[in-house]
Amino acid sequence: MNPDAYVLWAAAIATLGVYTILYRENPISRLFEHIFVGLSAGYLLVITWTLNLEAKWWQPMVAERRWWWVFAPVAGGLFYFIFSRRLSWLARLVMGLFFGAGAGTFFRQFFPIYAPQFYACFKPLRPDAELPWSQVLLHHWMFVIILLTVLSYFFFSVSHEGRAGRALGRASLLGRWFMMIAFGAMFGNTVMARVSLFIGRMRFLLTDWLGSFIPWFAGRGL
Amino acid sequence: MLRLFQPATHQGVLVAALAGALVLSIALLYCLHRFLGPRQRRRLIAAVTFVAGLFYGLEYFYPAREGRNFLTPWIEPVSTMLAVIGAFTVGLGIYSLCQVHGRNVAQRRSGWHNSAAFFGAMAAMLVFGLWDYYLRLPEPQPQVLPWPKAVYAILFGGLYAPLQAATFSLLAFYIASAAYRAFRIRSAEAALMMAAAFVVMLGQVPVGAWLTGFIPLDSAWAFFRLEVLGDWIMRWLNMPAQRGIVFGIAVGALAMSLRIWLSLERGTFFSEGT
Amino acid sequence: MGRPPGRADRSAQEAGGGFWGRMQGIPRYYIHLLLAGVVVWQLLAPISMPIAPSAATQGVYDAIAAVPDDKLIVISADWDASTQAETGPQTQAIVQACLREGKRFALMSLGAPMGIRLAHEIAQEAAREHGAEYGVDWCNWGYKYGYGNVLMALAKDIPRAVGSDFYGTPVAELPMMEGVTDIRGIGLVIEVTGLAAITEIWLGLIQGPYGTPLASAYTAVMAPGYYPYLDSGQMQGMLVGAKGAAEMEALVERPGKAVAVMNVQSWAHVLIIALIVIGNAGYVLAGRRRR
Repeated sequence: MNPDAYVLWAAAIATLGVYTILYRENPISRLFEHIFVGLSAGYLLVITWTLNLEAKWWQPMVAERRWWWVFAPVAGGLFYFIFSRRLSWLARLVMGLFFGAGAGTFFRQFFPIYAPQFYACFKPLRPDAELPWSQVLLHHWMFVIILLTVLSYFFFSVSHEGRAGRALGRASLLGRWFMMIAFGAMFGNTVMARVSLFIGRMRFLLTDWLGSFIPWFAGRGL
Repeated sequence: MLRLFQPATHQGVLVAALAGALVLSIALLYCLHRFLGPRQRRRLIAAVTFVAGLFYGLEYFYPAREGRNFLTPWIEPVSTMLAVIGAFTVGLGIYSLCQVHGRNVAQRRSGWHNSAAFFGAMAAMLVFGLWDYYLRLPEPQPQVLPWPKAVYAILFGGLYAPLQAATFSLLAFYIASAAYRAFRIRSAEAALMMAAAFVVMLGQVPVGAWLTGFIPLDSAWAFFRLEVLGDWIMRWLNMPAQRGIVFGIAVGALAMSLRIWLSLERGTFFSEGT
Repeated sequence: MGRPPGRADRSAQEAGGGFWGRMQGIPRYYIHLLLAGVVVWQLLAPISMPIAPSAATQGVYDAIAAVPDDKLIVISADWDASTQAETGPQTQAIVQACLREGKRFALMSLGAPMGIRLAHEIAQEAAREHGAEYGVDWCNWGYKYGYGNVLMALAKDIPRAVGSDFYGTPVAELPMMEGVTDIRGIGLVIEVTGLAAITEIWLGLIQGPYGTPLASAYTAVMAPGYYPYLDSGQMQGMLVGAKGAAEMEALVERPGKAVAVMNVQSWAHVLIIALIVIGNAGYVLAGRRRR
């Protein structure tokens, strides 16, 4: 059986079914939402077995007869005691294992990730043969001012009263302004990302789906 | 002791070892639950948390010769064991979903047919997903597939992936309607934010470069080309602000990790029931 | 019984009557239609404009070109269908760059089992175009569950950590994996992702401790947060959303989906800006009328 045509039509119907919600909530979109959640749940079970448990647990335990792998489902099963009031501490036992491992992993990663960030804060603030005044002012001085004012914004435990406090208050206000610029930049990028997703879907509907039976759509410059 | 952890010599021994280990585990858990009081339980959890964190941290910080120390050979097996144990948590979410939707179907609540569709979709994906996995075909796969593989292709490529893509693409419409109906510039800060957004939005797309394309790239005014201005905002206004936020997050995460590792954290999750 | 008025409805109520007042409260689906109309218009009759690569995108290409011939490039495809419109073309452009430069690459995924399947189809098609052979010029390690645990194991022993590839073949049996036993066999990691926090795992466990070069491709939403790593030199380059993919397509001289998306993106952005301006102008004018 060649599934290509069925895949194409199923994808188009599913996409249009979801898009009916753009007019208003309706039974069709709700049905597709539930189908999506069901498919996600089923897929999660499939990949958990096929891409993880089968090769890493079942094969070593059964085919290679490494009997100690039976402790893995016992430990994993402890998570399910979270549903029992009396036995929930057993779930906390295995969660403690993962929290500890996570904390230990974070300690390993802390310096490799953040030390270069700290070193990169020290930028030349005077021009030289390779660095003209315009770049030093617009790039490095801007960087230092913005970094310090943004950091000063997060000192919530320091009072903004008194001479030093008022200076900190003004710096933190400036930091807030710079953060608003950063949030504006993030918003601009967010718009680009979200619109791209829709453009991708429309391209599929027009070129791949409509183009499969109306030739005019098939080669519209894509 | 380590000699105990050898592969079983044949299937009978394996079955006996599995059964024995299972019984031993259950007995151990029963004893722990029966004989440990709340304080001792908390200490046991704290000890397990500490040792788990110590292993990974110590392996990184302990002096190494040629990139290896006495803990390095254990990294891979311990990591794999944790990955396998973590995989068994998949049932937690599935159980919750089945509970909610099962109740809808059992009690014939309004919209119960949607919950039935949920179960149908989950069962179909599970059955055909496993069937597709075990029905191995030599590469390259033929265009005409056995029907179980074809059904899986329809479920995955025809329903699952497009539904996910379509659901997330709805965000474009919500951003467009929010742009018109909800984004109100009521303060100078909001105006600054929107101005930066406009410059970045136009700078990221070809039409922005076209609008200020009359400014030569090698002139002193090239800074005011929208794509140059947009890039400057991202690299030299956005970047230091993000770095400030990164430092805040880093320090907070380090403090939190230390508190969790040393079991200093208190609250609903960390102390209830023990 | 109707639903309680939302924030936009209250804006309309605050704005009062008159043309601008009524415009404040127009139903959402008119705006949805407008966006759909602009996108369909540009998809069917695109107004093409040139795309010039940015320094960040050039950095990714240069990093690929600089990989020694005896080392692998690992492309971590941590994305799924929800971000396919951006990360799909990014992956395609990166794979095209690797094949164009004659560099061997291995696909893998830490966080998205769906994405590795989609990335595999992209790589298969590109490999067919370039006459590249699976197992010799490229391979797919598949989805590896475990995040940081996988990377810690991978750095020490790749064949053992990876196990078998996408087809179930032990990776040690693939011709291109000969001599590639640990992190020293990897010349560049390219992270293509729409998921948060995966990059930090690569930075903390691979790039930082071992100095392995790292380049990235992100959805446009995530990209602003990763500029600090570009500035510090922890990343060699970065593709930003569909724009980055389009720039990379221009660099490898194979315009594709991303270039098409950017043509449409231009006018969609103009529409969003116009909606914000008109919405605010209408709000102000309606407010004046009310006073």
